Amino acid sequence: MAVVEKEDFRVVGKSIPRLDAGGKVRGLTEYADDVDIPDCWHGAIVRSPVAHGRLLGLTFDSSFDWNLVAVVTSEDIPGKNIVDMMGQDMPFLAHDEIQYRGEPVALIAARTKALAKKSLAHVKVDVEEHPATLTMQDVVARFEKDPASLHLQWKQDIRKGNVTDALASADMVVEGEYWCGHQEQMYIEPQGMIAIPEKDGSIFILGSMQCPYYINPELCVTLDLPPEKIRVKQTAVGGAFGGKEDFPTLLGGYCALLAMKCGHPVKIIYDRHQDILYSTKRHPAWTRHVTGLNRDGTIAAMKIDFLLDGGAYTTLSPVVLFRGILHAAMGYECENVTINGRVFRTNTFPNGAFRGFGAPQSLWALESHVDVLAERCGMTPHDFRLKNCLRKGGVTPTGQVLKESVGSPAVLETALDKAGFAEKLTRCSAGDPSQDRWYGIGLSFFAHGAGFTGDGEARIKAKVALDLDYFEDGAPGINVRASSTEMGQGTMTILPQTAAEGLSISIDRVRYPYPDTQVVPDSGPTVASRTAMVVGATVYGAGEKMKAQLEKFASEALFDGQTVKLSDGRFESSSAGNSRAFEEVASLYLKQNGPLRVYNQFDLPPTIKWNQETFEGDAYPSYSWGCNIAEVEIDVLTLEIHVTKVTACYDIGRVLNPLLAKGQLEGGLVQCLGYAIMEKIQIQDGIPDANRMQTYVIPTMLDTPEFDLCFVEYPYDHAWPGAKGLGEIPMDGLAPAIANAIKRAAGVRITDIPITPEKLFEALKESGSIRGTEAS
Amino acid sequence: MSTKVTRTWTVNGEKKVVEVLPLRRLLDVLREDFGIKGTKEGCGEGECGACTILLDGQPVCSCLIGAGQILDGSEIMTVEGLEKTEGGRILQEAYMEKGAAQCGICIPGMLISSYALLNSVSDPDEALIRKSHAGNLCRCTGYEKIVEAIQLAAERWPTGISNIKHRTLIRHR
Repeated sequence: MAVVEKEDFRVVGKSIPRLDAGGKVRGLTEYADDVDIPDCWHGAIVRSPVAHGRLLGLTFDSSFDWNLVAVVTSEDIPGKNIVDMMGQDMPFLAHDEIQYRGEPVALIAARTKALAKKSLAHVKVDVEEHPATLTMQDVVARFEKDPASLHLQWKQDIRKGNVTDALASADMVVEGEYWCGHQEQMYIEPQGMIAIPEKDGSIFILGSMQCPYYINPELCVTLDLPPEKIRVKQTAVGGAFGGKEDFPTLLGGYCALLAMKCGHPVKIIYDRHQDILYSTKRHPAWTRHVTGLNRDGTIAAMKIDFLLDGGAYTTLSPVVLFRGILHAAMGYECENVTINGRVFRTNTFPNGAFRGFGAPQSLWALESHVDVLAERCGMTPHDFRLKNCLRKGGVTPTGQVLKESVGSPAVLETALDKAGFAEKLTRCSAGDPSQDRWYGIGLSFFAHGAGFTGDGEARIKAKVALDLDYFEDGAPGINVRASSTEMGQGTMTILPQTAAEGLSISIDRVRYPYPDTQVVPDSGPTVASRTAMVVGATVYGAGEKMKAQLEKFASEALFDGQTVKLSDGRFESSSAGNSRAFEEVASLYLKQNGPLRVYNQFDLPPTIKWNQETFEGDAYPSYSWGCNIAEVEIDVLTLEIHVTKVTACYDIGRVLNPLLAKGQLEGGLVQCLGYAIMEKIQIQDGIPDANRMQTYVIPTMLDTPEFDLCFVEYPYDHAWPGAKGLGEIPMDGLAPAIANAIKRAAGVRITDIPITPEKLFEALKESGSIRGTEAS
Repeated sequence: MSTKVTRTWTVNGEKKVVEVLPLRRLLDVLREDFGIKGTKEGCGEGECGACTILLDGQPVCSCLIGAGQILDGSEIMTVEGLEKTEGGRILQEAYMEKGAAQCGICIPGMLISSYALLNSVSDPDEALIRKSHAGNLCRCTGYEKIVEAIQLAAERWPTGISNIKHRTLIRHR
């Protein structure tokens, strides 16, 4: 590993403006719906009208001219009629059992969108309806009474020490239950995919996606095509947040099946209404904490049940469950921990990936509960956390010893200090009936595992390449090749930054084209806060390799065999006065040898040990750390909640680009603000009641707080230049920080997000502390 | 409303003639009939503001306007027209410098709202910036960098430039 001090970085760590911003501010960037596809047909989806039942058949109305359109049913699927994800329980098109309302049963393509839409009204889906399980409330009620009556999709437990004995001997036992509902990703660009049938029988799929190498190979199974016959290319993505991780395989598959049937390119661009109804959301969750607590403020035992609503099929839910339970008690010293994780089926659209992937759900519960624990032993929330937080050398619930790169307690101490937390805590209203506006401040502290769980990164071995070639302007440049996607978070800028750093050249000659599986190696999916850490390090390493090759070439071709070093864009030998520009040497290389491609591959250090069966060992290669402090004001008359200020400190390892990193943190925090107090979905007749932007309300420019954000940097040395995860952690802590602030403002604890004024009203009424109401 | 009407407008400074059903959305006329695709559809019901364009100087959601409602001689400006104006270029630079665009899908509409604001009030305070952009949703940025970009553009905004025909106070959406 290269030894580079922070101050020696030339490109990494600099606030370089986004390389893709030019096209975006000029309106030139092509998103899926902007790509011109000649002769393109439009797809539409025939859906189940019921949430649970049996498909009896389809009736095609004879008054409609079916020769005008192409129809695909389950019988037309060339390969296996399954979506090749975990559980293997989801059919591409339902053919017998129906598991959710809106489940696709047939596909139609037509020359125009209007005709495709019109045809849908002429298909009748005949079903026999069965009773359905629809909500998390249903699931929890049955879990308490008769768990065997539920359909278990997955289970995973974590065990450390002896919880039963420790609970029995603790000074007190503190229980709490915490709920959180669906959350819609609400990227502003709806889902959109296009499939183009090629003459040789292969299929070219492009569109709005996070993971090109999910679609291929997953669609190979359904389309019965070998991997080399499915080409996948990303178009510009107008936001994803996990929503375009698993779902594009389905939408791309629908397009591909139709394209293979009708012989024309087919595209499906969801409108907003369809997008909310028929794409993945964050899993609703219920968490029960039973904690053994001692009067001196130590945590003797943590027993946690963590339940997820998986929706109709398994898809990615097991992995969401894993991340959920791995964060459910993370961050605190406790020798006895039992976590029981379960995913149960409901008859609703399968829940999927969303920024944080289970961790925001379990951390919402943990960080609410930790405040309750502090209160019960008479400590302030910050003193309790400072006493119990894991530090370097601490041991996590899976038995992982935190050996390096531990930003705890630094994030906690820094944020507390910046916010003036201890002093402000004494000013909270606590539901004082003499005030018109209640003030409260709340805290959360958390870690987020960076990269895939356990030894996942060792198994997937991210692969990247750098291509040295001539750019269109005739001068040499480098294209970074990886399957990691730009979806707003900055991949297109930070990967060239790490490449340029590895090479020690200016970023001006490095760029990141949209991934195309025909060209790029598989660097893994763009998920799990792994791009900056894992792919960034792999690209940096590729830069170093290319640098060494070019130095060797320069030495032989231009420096009479002397040792040559490429530094800051110039090749220099030890003899003074001899120096050549990167462009000159690269041009000469290209002239003599043609394009140069250099590969690199990521590997974990062999010290990482993980048992996927027992969930013991090193759950993540490294962790990012964070502390959020929320200040709220509540209008006592209307109970409107205003989050006025958020102070946050993060350790995300080396900050590759502070401008982009802060932008991503602010965006994630605002998304979590919506999760905490605004974004609400209830299932009505099997589908979300909030099914448009008018009814599913996300924060506007008027709803955001003042931010005070900062970093403390504890780089991760095994992924040089040392970034850890950034993408998900802003979603982790703000909801409990706000709930904790509301508790101190209004005097009541709400254990169910989103915390709406209506919910607060009910809680205040119940506690008998509402001022001037005669409602009771 | 099933008879086509003919309309002549100026779009981004160019004369355009279109024969169109009166209820066809302006958004579709721009994107599909004219092939001007910078303007985006995020919701189709006037909530997200991604399709915001300037119609005779006023920022409007092009998904809510029927082509027949737009009179002959109207001036339409989309994100593609910004570069032709000094103010538009100042805004584009400021958005790039401040990192205001992340995924970028809201930016065409956001920029148009910024342009309308600064053309009518060249030194807006933060409250007015926020109010005048509250109809433009962004899910990536948390809006901070966008506000900073508009403030930077306001600092650089030259006096006396206005490409808007009818200067009116910004509607508070």
